[in-house]
Amino acid sequence: MTLADYARDHAVHAAVVLVFFLYPPVNGALESSPLAAETAAFLPGITFMIAVLYMGLFAMSFDFVSGYTGYLSFGHAAFYGTGAYFVVLAANGQIPGIPGGTPFMITLLLGALLAALLALVIGSVSFRLTGVYFAMITLGFAQVIYELIRSWGYVSTNPQEGATIGGDGLAIGVPYVDALSLRVGRLTGTSVENLLGLGIDVSATVVSYYALGAVVLASYFAMQRILHSPFGRVMVAIRENEERARAVGYPTYRFKLAAFAISGFFGAVAGGIFAAYARSVSPDNSYFFLVTADALITTIIGGFGTLAGPLFGTAFHQWLEDVLSTESGGLATYIREGVPATVLETDVFGLSVELFVNTALAGRAPLYLGIVFVLFVLFVPNGILGTVRDRLGGTVGKRLPERLRRYRR
Amino acid sequence: MLLETDGLTKRFGGITAVDGVDFALESGELCSLIGPNGAGKTTFFNLLTGVLEPSDGAIRFAPGAGAGEGGQAGEGGDGGVGTRDITDASPHETALAGIHRSYQITNLFPTLTVLENVRIAAQAARGGDAWKLWRNVRSFDAHYEEAHQILDRIGLDGAADAVAENLSHGEKRSLEVGVALAGDPDLLLLDEPTAGVSSEGVDDVVALIEDVAADHSVMLIEHNMDVVMGISDRIAVLHRGELIADGPPESVRNDPAVREAYLGGYGREGDATGEEQSGGTDGDGSAAATDGGRRVDRPTGRAPPAERGRASGRTPNRGGGGR
Repeated sequence: MTLADYARDHAVHAAVVLVFFLYPPVNGALESSPLAAETAAFLPGITFMIAVLYMGLFAMSFDFVSGYTGYLSFGHAAFYGTGAYFVVLAANGQIPGIPGGTPFMITLLLGALLAALLALVIGSVSFRLTGVYFAMITLGFAQVIYELIRSWGYVSTNPQEGATIGGDGLAIGVPYVDALSLRVGRLTGTSVENLLGLGIDVSATVVSYYALGAVVLASYFAMQRILHSPFGRVMVAIRENEERARAVGYPTYRFKLAAFAISGFFGAVAGGIFAAYARSVSPDNSYFFLVTADALITTIIGGFGTLAGPLFGTAFHQWLEDVLSTESGGLATYIREGVPATVLETDVFGLSVELFVNTALAGRAPLYLGIVFVLFVLFVPNGILGTVRDRLGGTVGKRLPERLRRYRR
Repeated sequence: MLLETDGLTKRFGGITAVDGVDFALESGELCSLIGPNGAGKTTFFNLLTGVLEPSDGAIRFAPGAGAGEGGQAGEGGDGGVGTRDITDASPHETALAGIHRSYQITNLFPTLTVLENVRIAAQAARGGDAWKLWRNVRSFDAHYEEAHQILDRIGLDGAADAVAENLSHGEKRSLEVGVALAGDPDLLLLDEPTAGVSSEGVDDVVALIEDVAADHSVMLIEHNMDVVMGISDRIAVLHRGELIADGPPESVRNDPAVREAYLGGYGREGDATGEEQSGGTDGDGSAAATDGGRRVDRPTGRAPPAERGRASGRTPNRGGGGR
């Protein structure tokens, strides 16, 4: 395979990476342009984009096992939580054998390996079941761990509230080499002033965005590589017809376990980078079953069994959250500020427009996400990326260049 | 001896589906397994392949031992591989040992391409390759080459990129055999390869079976008597789980016990077609789920089912399309 082939096969990958890479400066430029109000209202802020990264990675790890082997891992939050808690506890020196101050990249890896081990334990029991029973038992395992963590006093004095990281920001990069590491966190992260002497300032949030993005990108390529290996083909064969996969000679139980462990590994990586950025973790934002539900919803919206789809599904989810929140701009604020007061005060069926905007839009993302989810399940069952692939007749990376060539003539 | 069962028994609750079967298969043979619906034929296959665990008895398999008709590469000559007890083996273990099967009800990887259906089976036969997580599947040329060879053999190379579920029924039946072939079997178990195939298509399937039987040992479950009589070296008859006859086609055909049990008292029921139509549903009430009463299998009330020349005319796919 020549370099040119390689470049062509990955042109779409490169384009997506570029979009993510250019997002902060473009967003920043728009914010200081005449379109500032629209930008604040309709484009997600960087904090939301960071959530796209770690939640997207989590959803991709969920899709890795659920979308490719067909076993719905409803307890996937167990791995996310394990990664997150391991990173936090390790940073606080609370994990025996791991001194505080051990580089984040190492504790992240160890946490992910622990989650893979946990996946083997949970999987060795759960993979004796199939279908909805598998989903339920993994959910059960995760909820047991959730309850344990919630009441485990060792984690913090108030385990229900979770734990926080003290000290410096955790660094993503090459362990022990400060020059090749970037600290993450909104307040504790590295910020760059006057980048390369170009007079560009990069805030700590944006640095965190790039650092987390690098981890997500590496994880994505690792998972994609595995899916394109003979092993990945066996995963798909199991999804398509497990009985036949067994009959042609695959010990499917072992393959499923291995896939589950890999999936748990990357789920924990997602949890780890989330904790490193947020600098705190609670049972409810890590081990709780609704965390899995988020991954499930975004995976269905993005495209089940497409790996990259869940990232786009998450982007959509976070965009919706951002537009409907009032934290940074948002649609409700935009309308309140942009629409004349006389209109806002108009009564419609005994309700002022302003009150309507406040109740129907501000902070109502879950409502609309639910509606969108229902519509997707009904009308776009293959999700965003799945549908695009169906239309193109193959993966976007392969088909799009061909299509474009056809139009160029 | 390639395969040997010793008092093989399978009980489901109070029903004995396979009852103390002593059976042996020589290498290179094409042996048909016949019997009414619910006789235990598919259950017998499920026991051999490890899908079901025997209630009693033993199964021994000796791939490579005295490989008669060639075709099997490797250690054929000295018969030195030895006999393996596969009584408690799981499905993937029997597959890796060299027993592969096709299914009565099409059982493919529906959304994968025809090529990938066969390739994934070829990959399985090369055990360790499937665990190479870090190499692109396309770099395993041998898998693809073998898959294409098999597609060529079953006449589907032109449809390599088609999605399996979009094939015609007849093509799916061929692909069934192809997937089984890709596992590089020493023993091939074919469960009703002609099920639901149109009368014109049966001859193609028969040609494929004969081609495959030339270099494989084959066990064939088949309801079409003309096919069975025409191509079998040997016929074994199951009735209510028991092996009631086992021998060359002529002797089985004239065996009174077979006539009584399997042919349903041929000659007594009178007119052919009408009886056959109803025969499919009244059948043996104890029919195993897999036999599902889809097809009429008792060539009741007609001349001894011998002459293959009349095959196509007498094997309409009654009910076969209703799946």
